[in-house]
Amino acid sequence: MATKSEASLNLDLDLLHRLKSTEPPVWLAPRAELSETARKASKIIFSYLRTYAPKSPLDQLLIEGFDAEQIWQQIDLQSQPLLSSLKREVKKFEKKPEEIGKIREVLEGEKKVVESVGKVLEGERRVLAEESDDFDEDLDDGLDDDDEEEEEEEGSEGEEEKKGKGGAEGGIEDEFLKINELQEYLEEDEAREYGLKKDSNDSRKKGGRRVLDNEEDEDEDEEDEDEEELGVFGDSDDNEEEDEHRQKLENAGYEDFFGSKRKKAPKKNLKSIEELEEDSGLDDEEDEDEAVETKKNDNLSTHEKQSEQLRAEIEKMEKANLDPKTWTMQGEVTAAQRPKNSALEVDLDFQHNVRPAPVITEEFTASLEEMIKKRIIEGQFDDVEKAASLPSKAPRELKELDENKSKKGLAEVYEEEYVQKTNPAAAPLTFSDEQKKEASMLFKKLCLKLDALSHFHFTPKPVIEDMSIQANVPALAMEEIAPVAVSDAAMLAPEEVFAGRGDVKEEAELTKAERKRRRASKKRKFKAEATKRMTAKKARDNTLLNDNDGKEE
Amino acid sequence: MLRRNIRLRREYLYRKSLEGKERLLYEKKRKIKEALQEGKPIPTELRNEEAALRQEIDLEDENTAIPRSHIDDEYANATERDPKILLTTSRDPSAPLTQFVKELKFVFPNAQRMNRGGQVISEIIETCRAHEFTDVVLVHEHRGVPDGLIICHLPFGPTAYFGLLNVVTRHDIKDRKSIGTMPEAYPHLILDNFKSKLGERTANILKHLFPVPKADTKRIITFANQSDYISFRHHIYEKQGGPKSLELKEIGPRFELRLYQIKLGTVDQSEAQIEWVIRPYMNTSKKRKFLGD
Repeated sequence: MATKSEASLNLDLDLLHRLKSTEPPVWLAPRAELSETARKASKIIFSYLRTYAPKSPLDQLLIEGFDAEQIWQQIDLQSQPLLSSLKREVKKFEKKPEEIGKIREVLEGEKKVVESVGKVLEGERRVLAEESDDFDEDLDDGLDDDDEEEEEEEGSEGEEEKKGKGGAEGGIEDEFLKINELQEYLEEDEAREYGLKKDSNDSRKKGGRRVLDNEEDEDEDEEDEDEEELGVFGDSDDNEEEDEHRQKLENAGYEDFFGSKRKKAPKKNLKSIEELEEDSGLDDEEDEDEAVETKKNDNLSTHEKQSEQLRAEIEKMEKANLDPKTWTMQGEVTAAQRPKNSALEVDLDFQHNVRPAPVITEEFTASLEEMIKKRIIEGQFDDVEKAASLPSKAPRELKELDENKSKKGLAEVYEEEYVQKTNPAAAPLTFSDEQKKEASMLFKKLCLKLDALSHFHFTPKPVIEDMSIQANVPALAMEEIAPVAVSDAAMLAPEEVFAGRGDVKEEAELTKAERKRRRASKKRKFKAEATKRMTAKKARDNTLLNDNDGKEE
Repeated sequence: MLRRNIRLRREYLYRKSLEGKERLLYEKKRKIKEALQEGKPIPTELRNEEAALRQEIDLEDENTAIPRSHIDDEYANATERDPKILLTTSRDPSAPLTQFVKELKFVFPNAQRMNRGGQVISEIIETCRAHEFTDVVLVHEHRGVPDGLIICHLPFGPTAYFGLLNVVTRHDIKDRKSIGTMPEAYPHLILDNFKSKLGERTANILKHLFPVPKADTKRIITFANQSDYISFRHHIYEKQGGPKSLELKEIGPRFELRLYQIKLGTVDQSEAQIEWVIRPYMNTSKKRKFLGD
């Protein structure tokens, strides 16, 4: 293998040298021989890497008939998983630089190869990737060759590699969830916890290794299955370290979690006592004295015990007095002077100036409804009341037209009219007039009575003489229904028939002087009337004017 | 329209300015009346004006005897017509708030709801005056829970600002069938325990949101005051069996109102005089009850 590799190595180096030696401008124009050499070189490198990437699907880089893109894809297929695992490795080395040193020792043998290849490929783009790939390969090699001693430290790295590949295959991981990192952290934690018991466990592990061999196969199967799903608990086919971890977990006891009591408890006690001593400022001597005294408790009497207790209390209180007071006792305290959120823990007492909002309980609702029911039963509501509006105009009198058919025939109507004209007294009064008259008569009588009762100086109204036409009809006819005998006595007295002096002359009989006299007297009368009217009118006008003046004012 | 408004406003302000003098006169007349009734001699300071005042007293009727303040004037004509209410919200209302406002639309008879959109308050008031609304009611919220109610009476009337607490809306009640539909008859009102002057004023404001009901409606709305928290309840009653047996069924939203300000102007008049404002920071405010008893 070595000689073969050397020969091929020389060939490769040759190719690569050729590639490197070409001037940069030459790369600009496509050239067949350049591309051939480049392809061959990449094929060789690919096959180198193939040994360290056992899971890549391609055995060889296929270059015949493939264009640049396809070749690149093949290379990508191989290098991607290696890249991610390498990143993790680098991070781990960041945390633990000593690991790098160990690896360096292991890599002594293969260093030459690394250096030579590294130098040649510095100008190329894939330098970094290949170096990382190389480191990975070396690690793998290291693992295979190593002893048990180093497996513990490097076991985790190996796991991570596998997990890295497994994780990528699992598809669960994204930029936030890195299952490898999670596992790493878990193991660190466990290592910290189990660190105390590491040495003893080691021996146990070594002893039980052979026994576990049988179980390992089963474990591996399980792990393979897990790997495809989650890869949480890793997938190291080669690694037994993982199993040991698992064994540790399964057999963990109280001491693993909480440590042994003897070691820690007294430490704590000592610590606390020391603190107390510092705070109190007591002398060490006194403390010792006290400690000595308390040990002799059984020998003291009850009185002495009580006095002891009192003394202890007094000292405690005195000590408290000397301390600076807590913030709650310090009067006005601003937020800066007290610890954070301490006001929330203390029960502050202050007066609220606002009456709290009412809580609507069942009783409240019940009492409300009681009140409502009472009001409804009483009928006592607080509704808006419509104010009676003042009438601006007097209501118009609407004459009601009687739509019914007149009960009287037309002949009767004419009869009544005739009777009214000739004999008004005998005419029967119409319905509405009758009622109106009756009403007005009643009202007048009432008013008369009330006036008589209510005024101190009562003056009865003048009696209006009722004018009625007396027809000059023989009395008997009026007074009797059925005229038995006819009498000459007339209703009206002779004066009532004619009132005047005797000398009544007709127009035709008058002499001229008498006619003139009549005309003059007529004129006189007329003039007198006219002047009377004029004066009356003037007086009226004057009063009107006065009124108007008053109004304007 | 604009000139009419200006004239009305000027008259209103003039009457408001005369109030002081009127009150003085009223006081003097009152003293004279008392003296006459009790048969005591008239107080000496009124001796000169006694005759004139006596004449005026004789001529008085019940309308002119009481001194009218501009405060009462706001609701003087309110009884002549049914109130017309516009309901709207603050800007960008949430869904529960719009539901609540829809419910309130049914509580107040003759009310209309309007989407707020991006309108300014002064615009809203202008449109309401033009369309002869009598009241504008604005509802505010906090994260879906209604927490403020502003009732503004329109022709330059007073604005009352309330805070809402313990709001239970009809939409909260899951059982739809039991609650049924809301009747829209004009309701009877119960205003309980509004005894102080401020209480009377608040009762007046709340009362005039509702029209005159028929005497036999079954719907009843209650505003009950207890230590300055007004409980709003809405019931339907049924008289079953004989007298004195009454069944109340609660419908409609229920909430507590807390008055915190009354302003003597409409909502858009930010410079209006404040009639009353709550002062919770005073030491004695816990002991005092402002709305009566």
